[in-house]
Amino acid sequence: MKTITLNINGEKCRVEVRAHWSLAYVIREKAGLTGTKTGCEMGTCGSCTVLLNGEPVFACLKMAADAEGDEITTIEGVESKGQLHPLQTAFMEDHGMQCGFCTPGMIIAAKALLDEHPDPSEHQVREAIGGHLCRCGTYTRIVQSILHAARIAKQP
Amino acid sequence: MEYFSPRQLPEAYALLDRYGEAAIPIAGSTFFMGHREELFDEVEAVVNIKKLGLGYIRIEGKDLRIGATTTLNEIHRAPETSRGPLRIFAETVSELNICEVRNVATIGGEVCIAGEVDMPTTLLAYDAQIVIGSSKGTRVMPMSEFHVGYLRNALKPGEMVIEVRIPVPPARTGGGFGKFERTAADLPIVNAAARLTLDRRGMVEDVRITAGAATAAGIPVRAAAAEKLLQGKKPDDALILEAALAAGTIDCVDDFRASARIRGRWVQCAAEHALKRALSHAKEEESS
Repeated sequence: MKTITLNINGEKCRVEVRAHWSLAYVIREKAGLTGTKTGCEMGTCGSCTVLLNGEPVFACLKMAADAEGDEITTIEGVESKGQLHPLQTAFMEDHGMQCGFCTPGMIIAAKALLDEHPDPSEHQVREAIGGHLCRCGTYTRIVQSILHAARIAKQP
Repeated sequence: MEYFSPRQLPEAYALLDRYGEAAIPIAGSTFFMGHREELFDEVEAVVNIKKLGLGYIRIEGKDLRIGATTTLNEIHRAPETSRGPLRIFAETVSELNICEVRNVATIGGEVCIAGEVDMPTTLLAYDAQIVIGSSKGTRVMPMSEFHVGYLRNALKPGEMVIEVRIPVPPARTGGGFGKFERTAADLPIVNAAARLTLDRRGMVEDVRITAGAATAAGIPVRAAAAEKLLQGKKPDDALILEAALAAGTIDCVDDFRASARIRGRWVQCAAEHALKRALSHAKEEESS
């Protein structure tokens, strides 16, 4: 076991980890942040996506021990001061989900996109969620929600 | 299983020496974590090589040098691969439409996996050299010799890949890459890469056509018969189709993802696409 300090959503979290433990496992089971979902746990479904220093990565393919010193953002850290992120608002308003299992990963990937391209094309949106599966098949609504979020974010 | 994060190359080599075959160097960790169940009993030491200063991409002398822990995303965004004949490396990354993997997966990892990945196919077409480091020093090996079988490479215990060197191609060279996969996030079922250099009269001076992920050998191979058809000739759509048909005759693997017959057909299509792109890029180079 190795003791490390993770920086999750701006809060320090001291945990003991084993070498093969994934960041997704530690976020859920040790830090207790269950918003991040684990689906395939082999980098295929995208539901465990978190931001690492602002860039989306699959937390299931990331060793927790290797995430020390990185700024980790999970779905719990997307809102600010009790205000929902435009993406969260848009996903609710446009029903960008059915069961909601893929939603945290989709929102995290979309956040990375909007942070870099505040006004993305539909093609860019589709590329950004290329690594994410939605088993309810709500893709059309998800794309619509992300484009809607970009419009909400632009409002003064 | 122990985790190490050395700060100096000699420290990393010492760990690889101490644990021998039970050590695994990792950087992006996508392959290791994706196979952790199978690897759990074999691996005693996980050596994170990300903090050794091996993340770089630069032109040095006549080579493009890419450090082993350079991520695919860094290759995609580097000015060195944004134009000219080396842009094929950015284009190869573009074919993996999954930013979460591009952000962490490294060229060193892609090179070491002799299986369903894209970069080795392109590296083979560009006559890349693999720089291997160990406590005994460094040695350089051509990409064509580095893969020895499916998921097997030429590394000996105590060694790791530290750099990939790609000779900067001469003027009037273009490259192309083509791929078949099930979804944007999937591994390739087949891929093909082409590099084409034209002489001043527009004839093919030098050409490489390679196919990966598809072969019975389990490793990327050159389509020598297809290359021979193009050598010294003026390339047009008909000749490219003829060469692509020849590329499609390589010995393909038959598995649950595709039959050997359909793979051969897809290698043909991917090679045709790659050659057409390579030709149009080479012509652009000529006019620029």
